Amino acid sequence: MKLRRSMLFVPGDNAAMLSTSFIYKPDSIMFDLEDAVSPREKDSARLLVFQALQHPVYRDIETVVRINSLSTEFGRKDLEAAIRGGANVVRLPKTESPEAIRELDTHVTRIEIACGRPVGDTKLMAAIESASGVVNAVAIATASPRMIAIAMAGFDYLVDMHTRRSDDWQPELFYARAAVLHAARAAHIDAFDVVYGNVNDDEGFMREVKIAKQLGFNGKSLIHPKQVYLLHRAYAPTQDEVDHARRVIAAAEEALRNGLGVVSLDGKMIDPPVLKEAEMTLQLAEAA
Amino acid sequence: MKIVKEAIAGTLESSDLLVKVAPSDTREIVIKSEVFKQFGKQIARVVEETLDQLSVKAGSVVIEDKGALDCVIRARVQAATLRGSGSEDLDWRRLS
Amino acid sequence: MNAAGDFYDFHSVRPHEAPHEIEDVERLLAANNLELDSQIEIFVVCRQQGTVVACAGLDHCTIKCVAVAEHLRGEALSLRLGSEVVSLAAERGQFHLFLYSPPHNQSLFRGWGFYPLVEVPRQIVLMENSTVAIQRYCDRLREQRRPGATIGGIVLNANPFTLGHRYLVEQAATACDWIHLFLVREDASSISYADRFALVAAGVKDIDNLTLHQGSDYIISRATFPGYFLKDKALVDHSWAAIDLLLFREYIAPALGITHRYVGTEPFDLVTNSYNSEMRHWLQQPASPAPPIKVVEVPRVSIHGTPVSATEVRRLLAHRNFKAIEELVPATTMKFLEQDYPQIVQGA
Repeated sequence: MKLRRSMLFVPGDNAAMLSTSFIYKPDSIMFDLEDAVSPREKDSARLLVFQALQHPVYRDIETVVRINSLSTEFGRKDLEAAIRGGANVVRLPKTESPEAIRELDTHVTRIEIACGRPVGDTKLMAAIESASGVVNAVAIATASPRMIAIAMAGFDYLVDMHTRRSDDWQPELFYARAAVLHAARAAHIDAFDVVYGNVNDDEGFMREVKIAKQLGFNGKSLIHPKQVYLLHRAYAPTQDEVDHARRVIAAAEEALRNGLGVVSLDGKMIDPPVLKEAEMTLQLAEAA
Repeated sequence: MKIVKEAIAGTLESSDLLVKVAPSDTREIVIKSEVFKQFGKQIARVVEETLDQLSVKAGSVVIEDKGALDCVIRARVQAATLRGSGSEDLDWRRLS
Repeated sequence: MNAAGDFYDFHSVRPHEAPHEIEDVERLLAANNLELDSQIEIFVVCRQQGTVVACAGLDHCTIKCVAVAEHLRGEALSLRLGSEVVSLAAERGQFHLFLYSPPHNQSLFRGWGFYPLVEVPRQIVLMENSTVAIQRYCDRLREQRRPGATIGGIVLNANPFTLGHRYLVEQAATACDWIHLFLVREDASSISYADRFALVAAGVKDIDNLTLHQGSDYIISRATFPGYFLKDKALVDHSWAAIDLLLFREYIAPALGITHRYVGTEPFDLVTNSYNSEMRHWLQQPASPAPPIKVVEVPRVSIHGTPVSATEVRRLLAHRNFKAIEELVPATTMKFLEQDYPQIVQGA
């Protein structure tokens, strides 16, 4: 299973960050052609991302390109650059409806055929940034077999909801987080929590990471390299959890060797979901 | 591809480069780099290749390099050339 | 955002549209011992948490008033500022850029891709964003080189070409083997460059040991001599007149083999008058490693006791006193002023 805890945003026109962001070892790197790039620099950033995607250092890391909306003059060109450059995933911002994903899917297929990439190779994810996006989350999450994740984006959503971000347990985001997460889980895809904008406030960031982790998000979108380390540390299981997971796996392996259909540990039955959780714990521990 | 007007692309920041193109009867390339001693030839080769791919036969190309990777050099040379050619249509096969 | 998480907000500001912003800019400039230059059309301003921490001004193709708050003087912000101002200039159609720097800041602007052209020791350096532009310009000039021991150079604005200019050129042409005549290209005068050029060309047509050259950014231009175009203030920044003269001495004169610079005495025009005295210092004295150039001042010709000058012609033109003008200008200029100039004025 592909681990997706950290998706690091890299402004598409920032040569230095494009050249170095892999060293922070995020699970995914998102080259941004949308909000981080001024209209004046869209053309140049698109080429920069197209070239960076082909660099060997990005061969072993999941690459995501956030394109401009297809209704803008930039969207389709961004898509060409992303797919032809070899991006693993295209992230569509401000997704309101499943139709937007289906339209995107059609263009992706067309470009894959044109450039000789296997059809279906390019994955999609949608960022949900409005009330209607939240309401349509299930339909969006299942709109294309290419979908691998949905991401909650907080800023525009809270404006849409006539409220603003608070500091504690963030009731203003509760419904949206829960809705997006449920949609993702029902569709068997991943879910990313909102970005935390104040890069100088590590405590505030960690508070949010705790909420996201407790709710069940795979991870968060990140806007600063140092958040990668903090997030990975927060998602790392404790030693007790790791020890327990190891024993669960060992018991399962032993049951398999002995040809037993039922796995038990310390006299208690181990259900398949417990086994799955133990595997995830070990994967997280290994990646931490 | 023909350079019909002056254009720039890139920045002067570290790991980037600024590319300036202008119409000219011949193809002239001037490279200034902080790492010219070690990488001057390599930079020149990347610039030449990129221009060849775009079939730029004439034009003045002036580069102020700040230690950019080859992929950044390619991207900025392409961006400046496309801006200077005034063309909107990209042939992606010529860019990779 | 940089790796330290500092958010720099860059935007452009036109001084006359945002007087409050400019007050903030002036404060930063003052902290850097700089004054706001009234010629600046647009500023790149960088704020960090609301405070102006960096700025750079653009006057046509010249970058001026560059300042960075002391606590942020590392490489990163300065290079970002340089990129922003160079991009802004490109958006405004300016690609060949000049920059004035105190000599000790040269290395900073090397990082912006600017290279020194001439330096007034301990005062100021003129830099341009090319290593080859001045050489290419000099190469083109060298093609116009003429043989001879005495080669004269004249620079005229000729707004418009008068009998005074004609007299100066005649004197030089008699004394020299060849004359190189340059016309100021900047369109800051009431008569356009194209018209001024045509009038000079017509007025010197019969002088056969003369080459009339187009003006350039390197010869009395807004970039090399901004003070020249601020005549109503009657102020010439000395070091900036020096910059223009050093460019002539170190690049233009050697390319053409110019040995003498001819100039008319200027009774009315304070700027030109002060320029002439600067000329004696910066062209003749050992102020530069380049060979000295002899300055020849030709007294202004007088008609009926009045020295002939373009300033006087423009004054008479404002009163439509064509009878008086006729005595001061050649027939070609007269014809233009009577027939074409009124339409130009009405059309403007």
